[in-house]
Amino acid sequence: MDSLIKNSETINRLLARYGVKFGIYKNGEFKEQLFPFDPIPRIIKKNEFSYLEKGLRQRVDALNCFLSDIYGKKQIVRDGIIPEEFIFSAKGFLAPCDGVSPPKNIYSHISGIDLVQSKNDSWYILEDNLRVPSGASYPMIARELQRRSAPDVFTDNSVADNRNYAELLSEVMDNVNTGGINVILSPGRYNAAFFEHSYLAEKTGAVLTTGKDIVCENDNLYYIDYNGKKQRVGAVYRRISDEYLDPMTFYEESVIGIPHIFEAYKKGNTAIINAPGNGVADDKGIYYFVPKMIKYYLGEDAVLMNAPTYLPYYEEDMKYVLSNFDNLVIKDVAEAGGYGVVFGSSLTADKKSEFLEMLKQQPRRFIAQEIIDFYDLDILDENNVKVPRKADLRAFVLTGKTTKVWASGLTRFSRNPDSFIVNSSQGGGFKDTWVLSQ
Amino acid sequence: MKGGGIIKRLKFNYDLTAAYSEEINNHSFSVLCIPQDTQRQKIRELDISTDGGAVYQITNDSFLNKKLYGKINAPHKSFGVHISGIADAGIDIFEEYTDYPFGAILYKAQTELTRPGESLTRYHNSFSFKESDGVYDRVLKIMRDIPNVFEYSSGSTRIHETAEGAFTLGKGVCQDYAHIMLSLLRMEHIPARYVVGMMLGEGSSHAWVEALCKGYWYGFDPTNNKLVNDEYIRVSCGRDSSDCPVIKGSFYGGGVQKQSEFVSVEEINEKD
Repeated sequence: MDSLIKNSETINRLLARYGVKFGIYKNGEFKEQLFPFDPIPRIIKKNEFSYLEKGLRQRVDALNCFLSDIYGKKQIVRDGIIPEEFIFSAKGFLAPCDGVSPPKNIYSHISGIDLVQSKNDSWYILEDNLRVPSGASYPMIARELQRRSAPDVFTDNSVADNRNYAELLSEVMDNVNTGGINVILSPGRYNAAFFEHSYLAEKTGAVLTTGKDIVCENDNLYYIDYNGKKQRVGAVYRRISDEYLDPMTFYEESVIGIPHIFEAYKKGNTAIINAPGNGVADDKGIYYFVPKMIKYYLGEDAVLMNAPTYLPYYEEDMKYVLSNFDNLVIKDVAEAGGYGVVFGSSLTADKKSEFLEMLKQQPRRFIAQEIIDFYDLDILDENNVKVPRKADLRAFVLTGKTTKVWASGLTRFSRNPDSFIVNSSQGGGFKDTWVLSQ
Repeated sequence: MKGGGIIKRLKFNYDLTAAYSEEINNHSFSVLCIPQDTQRQKIRELDISTDGGAVYQITNDSFLNKKLYGKINAPHKSFGVHISGIADAGIDIFEEYTDYPFGAILYKAQTELTRPGESLTRYHNSFSFKESDGVYDRVLKIMRDIPNVFEYSSGSTRIHETAEGAFTLGKGVCQDYAHIMLSLLRMEHIPARYVVGMMLGEGSSHAWVEALCKGYWYGFDPTNNKLVNDEYIRVSCGRDSSDCPVIKGSFYGGGVQKQSEFVSVEEINEKD
């Protein structure tokens, strides 16, 4: 372990050289910044990982059933398990996807599930990311560089090899490929996660492209290379959001999408990874219902718990939220990336009454959660002294023929000792995640 | 409840043109302006033509509207779609509810454009319905009242004006009338949809509302304070106007774009 710490500076220098950056928008300006790497890994024991694996597979399988149901028969709404307001007025519900089945009926191929561990060692699900979850490339390359500097550390400590992510991802793409090549569709180098797009393309052998090299003809997609050679595209791992995917179906002003790709998808001539429309399932309002979904679709009790959550939409929950406001964290269901999060206790009296008024006016817009006392992880500060910081874990769950959990993950931590918000878009750092194989 | 023989045979023309001040290329387009058979209307003749050598296909969108789409690669400065034909309208006064594709659930939810704010909520509260009022009665009362508080005026509202915005302004066009009525109906938990179509006469396309009453979709035209009858040809529907864009385009090049629309519908007398 000491050898890892010793090499920490070199690793960070190499990460910078390889362009492992994260772009953030601050005050409307795009800034690229390094994603600081901390050498002390998060360690997950073998039996603990088996438990997480079981819970994550169950959760993602249920979420896939839910998406298929919502864009199909809508039985879960008809049966009154989830109120219709939470589905059809949600921004993430995309009407053009209704009645369209993706290849092999898989909606969420790559799911990024965020978890935290509390002081009493229990794991809680914080949120599901089923649209375009990013971050797998960071632990991949950090591990790759560390292996070069201290190869023995990983065998001596029986750390599960995490170099199989590219293989898992290729399996996922090949599984739904409708005949043709796999491409990774990136908005281009000014995107926050461009490093990841290019790295994953290199590792999986998929073609990295921006929409400009792809055309849709007679409801088929083709990639045109620099020689003008035309190849059919059978699967598009798109790293652009639904709204921008097809200007002819969604946001007309989009210049990064592919016109008519949706028609090709509708006719089953190409797979889109992840499927459009998944936003309806990773909404913070829907999060509340995931344990119910697991019961409803799989007939099982949820293995992994949600953080205790209240929906002000229900009168009883509203009462609880109003009388326990200072102990809760309130989240705007439409926001992501750590934005729109308010700790009840942090508001001044004026702001608080203003906020409560808004909460009463728009109960559907918010959820409230008990604050989980995070289990802190040690990081090295500027003076190489170990200090405890809040951290979460993004687990990557891949659905191909079966659903698998990658034996690694992205551990993000907050550098600010007082902050609970660990999102990379808010300037945090990351660690390697070791899953022990013995 | 048949229409009782008040069927009109209508000859219609729908011309849609877009002109660009500079040449454009790689032009993908998608157009929603093809009427189709429903329980209320039968399209007896239909002729579709496009300008500029456009190759096109036709598909159903998720609202089961007929969507014409395609691409023109070569440089051009104008593009047009022309739909003409003959329709029998007013065969039935309603359309039977089918559960596909969404069921009615979707049409009960407010959208970005119909979500009420303070003024529409206040207006909604001013309605007093009787215990004995059925769904149809409530819809009718709402339509009958709108002209008392909203007046027709072209050019005062924006293309994507919200119902709340238009209502606060107090005036607008058929799209605004329809959005306001949709907002009110959805506050009453009545499934209702936005409809684009053509109406007897000359001018632009028209917009109205269909509400689900006891298993049947009935048409209501709040702009004219009129029940939809044999003078109307239905073209497309959705949750609000943003689901029924008449034309969408994506291309390289450009300059200034000018779109125009000309619709004419006249009654003809020939019978079989």
